Amino acid sequence: MFRILLKKEFLVELKSKEISASMLTFGIAVILIFAFSFNVPPDIMSTFAPGLFWVMTLFISTLGLHRMYAYEKEFDAFGFLISAPVDRGLIFLAKWVSGTLYLVITDLFILPPFLLFLQLQVSVSIGLAALVLIFGNLGLMVLGSLVSGLAMRAKMSEVLLPVLLFPLASPVMIAATKASAGLLKGEPFQSWQVWVFILGTFIISFGLVGFLVFDHITEE
Amino acid sequence: MFIQSRVNQIWFGLLVLALAIDVNTIINHTPMVPQQQWAQKIFYIHVPVAWTAFLSYFMVMVAGIAFLATKKTAWDRLGRAAAEIGTMFMILVLITGPIWARPIWGKPWVWEPRLTTSLILFLIYIGYFMLREFGGHPERIARYAAVLGIIAFIDVPIIFLSVKFWAPEVQSHPQVEMSQQPTGILGPFFYSLIVFTILYIFMMRFRIHTLKLQEEIETHAV
Repeated sequence: MFRILLKKEFLVELKSKEISASMLTFGIAVILIFAFSFNVPPDIMSTFAPGLFWVMTLFISTLGLHRMYAYEKEFDAFGFLISAPVDRGLIFLAKWVSGTLYLVITDLFILPPFLLFLQLQVSVSIGLAALVLIFGNLGLMVLGSLVSGLAMRAKMSEVLLPVLLFPLASPVMIAATKASAGLLKGEPFQSWQVWVFILGTFIISFGLVGFLVFDHITEE
Repeated sequence: MFIQSRVNQIWFGLLVLALAIDVNTIINHTPMVPQQQWAQKIFYIHVPVAWTAFLSYFMVMVAGIAFLATKKTAWDRLGRAAAEIGTMFMILVLITGPIWARPIWGKPWVWEPRLTTSLILFLIYIGYFMLREFGGHPERIARYAAVLGIIAFIDVPIIFLSVKFWAPEVQSHPQVEMSQQPTGILGPFFYSLIVFTILYIFMMRFRIHTLKLQEEIETHAV
């Protein structure tokens, strides 16, 4: 059942490409603004880079999350989805996993212009970089899928989503930024592994909570 | 009615008296801590207020779990009252924290884990009230608020830990040091803590009562 739900998420996106297109364009626009606002030498920019990258990811995740639920809101497809005999925890898992995948793919597309426009030169271990990227995005999206479920049917949902998401996501932002900084500086994994553990704790805690409470969020 | 009840009136009178004794004790009968002098005295208020705020947010989570399990309106009412009073106390934490920080650290804001966690929680609860305001149907709002109350409290230890590791240089929090201070400090401190806890319980009872009245009025209006 989980696979069917996941397939549905991807098929909808493949047909419209709304989420990926909006996240990608918005991401590049944000990089441009960063480049203009932080007109500093590359060595100083490299100290800001991890924070800027995750701020950008947080912004684009908000946009993606909004679109993710907007589809179903527009055609009341969500009503049909939750009336199907499906464990709602699985709906949450499908949204979380698909959202993380969109975000990781968008990040991968955005990384080259990010490095190019901000004139950054990096040489990092691909495996560790993938670990940080996936953990950071899993952390953002586990919370995002949960919070956007809350904000979706409220009035002013587009305002409510970031207002709720940003403070709740602060541990993810801190941990992902610190882990990326350790990675970029070439420090050994042992010196920044604590941040990966914090991200892991966050992902497991909110993954479990989301799975358990999503039923109450989607109840009609 | 709450205010007309003789028991509540006596409780209110005793609370005012206990608070007056608390303030007098803090000003006149607590020892001056070297280097910190008068600035340290804010902690007889700051710590009990912070304790009450966190206790209140813990209550929001408990009420949230109980509401989702039972769907009884009383739990939603308790959660809402605890969220409101907790946020009020959290505002006091965010005011009294910088009052102490300025003379001690030389700047009004320091990214100290407890203070930072308080600020983040406060922001989360601003969102909580917005959700309650714009959530739509009252029954749905109650469910959403319960879920958010649970999420917010689960986030607390993770926020605290991440800020602690993020700014390891800021560790000198007087709450820890107070246990090593002379006995003249601990007695008034615990007295203040108890008075604020009783004040909190009294405020909660009053707010739950007014929320109940409000619901009755709304039901009759419909």
